[in-house]
Amino acid sequence: MLITWGYRVRNSIMERIDSRARWIFSLVFLFAITMFWDARFLAFFFILGFTWYSLAKVKWAEARRAWLMVSMILFTMIVINTIITGGGAGGIVPEGGTLVWPEGFTMPITGWTLYFGLTYERLWFAVCQLLRILPISAVFIVIPFSMDPRLYGVTFKGLGLPDKVAYTMELAFRYVPTLARDFNLTMDAQKARGYELERMGGSLLQQIVRVAPLLVPVTMNSIITGEDVTNAMDLRCFGTHKRTWLVKLTYRKRDIALIVFSVLLISTSLFLTSVMGLGGFTVPSWFLTLVGA
Amino acid sequence: MEQKKSLWKFGTREVVNGAIGSALYGILAFATNMLQIPSAGNVAFRPAVAIPLFFGVAFGPIVGFITGFVGNIIGDLLSGYGMWIWWDLGNGIMGLVAGLCATQITNYRDGKSILKAEIYCALGIIAGMAVASISEMWMSGADINTVIFANFIPAVIPNLINGLILVPILMIAYQAVLSRRGR
Repeated sequence: MLITWGYRVRNSIMERIDSRARWIFSLVFLFAITMFWDARFLAFFFILGFTWYSLAKVKWAEARRAWLMVSMILFTMIVINTIITGGGAGGIVPEGGTLVWPEGFTMPITGWTLYFGLTYERLWFAVCQLLRILPISAVFIVIPFSMDPRLYGVTFKGLGLPDKVAYTMELAFRYVPTLARDFNLTMDAQKARGYELERMGGSLLQQIVRVAPLLVPVTMNSIITGEDVTNAMDLRCFGTHKRTWLVKLTYRKRDIALIVFSVLLISTSLFLTSVMGLGGFTVPSWFLTLVGA
Repeated sequence: MEQKKSLWKFGTREVVNGAIGSALYGILAFATNMLQIPSAGNVAFRPAVAIPLFFGVAFGPIVGFITGFVGNIIGDLLSGYGMWIWWDLGNGIMGLVAGLCATQITNYRDGKSILKAEIYCALGIIAGMAVASISEMWMSGADINTVIFANFIPAVIPNLINGLILVPILMIAYQAVLSRRGR
């Protein structure tokens, strides 16, 4: 098993932006976009999200697995729920509406007539779901490919997390290669005794129990190692003073500009939705005219 | 002098165990993604879910939360799935709730303690996956039926099966480690 991080140096614009500012923008983007169901506003977020994504210079081949997962979620949410089953759409789409096939839908080869309650309003809602889920995915998919794993601890410390929590994150990321090596050693040792993790046969219970010879030694060995690390850290007075970090993050003008933009984005979104009452789900009249509803 | 266990203590031991648990959960989640439920299409089985539950039971709710939250981030980063903060939070809650029984367990091999841990683990899985699934209503506008049948049930059932089988095995092994080390 090869353990590798998705991150590599790409000399992209994204990498030049402070990691704290990037997290602030990503979280603000998430909260701001979820205030809207109006396609006009969602289109703005769509452009913003994918512009942000393009700044990271992530190649399609690298992020393909993530997009495959997103497309599976979208298929469940949109094709199955909104279009085929005509589910409640979370109470966002008002009841009723204009049916797409009021006379039923005739299957091409069999000639069967199917009736399902797909309305133009639900169809438009599906478009809005796409406009909302895709940019959120783009903003968050890009993080592991463009952020150095060594920066997570100091970044979360910089965002206000307590020293100990931030250090836990830092330590966790640093432990990954060590534990992956232990995991490989244990797996090789067990394989030498005839252990086969990849074997698919057997009942569900057998499959789970088959993991135990791998899970138990790796976990127990890590806990025992952890005791030694705890003692070493205690001897060095861990947690008694404010920590310093190997990497020092400094805000530059562009980072401040991104944070200011993020503040403006969230405050404008709040103003538009809470004060002006805009951003709710509406079907544009041009769409209904276009489809002849 | 016997030291009383504190549920919400966050000292050096908790920092280290949280970090180890997170790294372990991330690696094992990545490594066991190949396991599939027989005759069920495209539903990945994650035996690694026992890690945040066990770390919660053994070291308390804070360690359980960190193991679930950070471990899920690491697992997703390694698998190339990106970052899904609301599912990370759900995994964290799973470990946190399981960890609420940490101070009540003195012998990890005792039948009553294992039963207690199993109940808290089950509650943790239900609570954690409920939070993560319900967040999909807010994120993507899914209705409650989709959330229950497409998110909640497919996440809860495999986690319950994995957690309830593997956590007792880890607890018994951990008791052996404690006895050997005279703790």
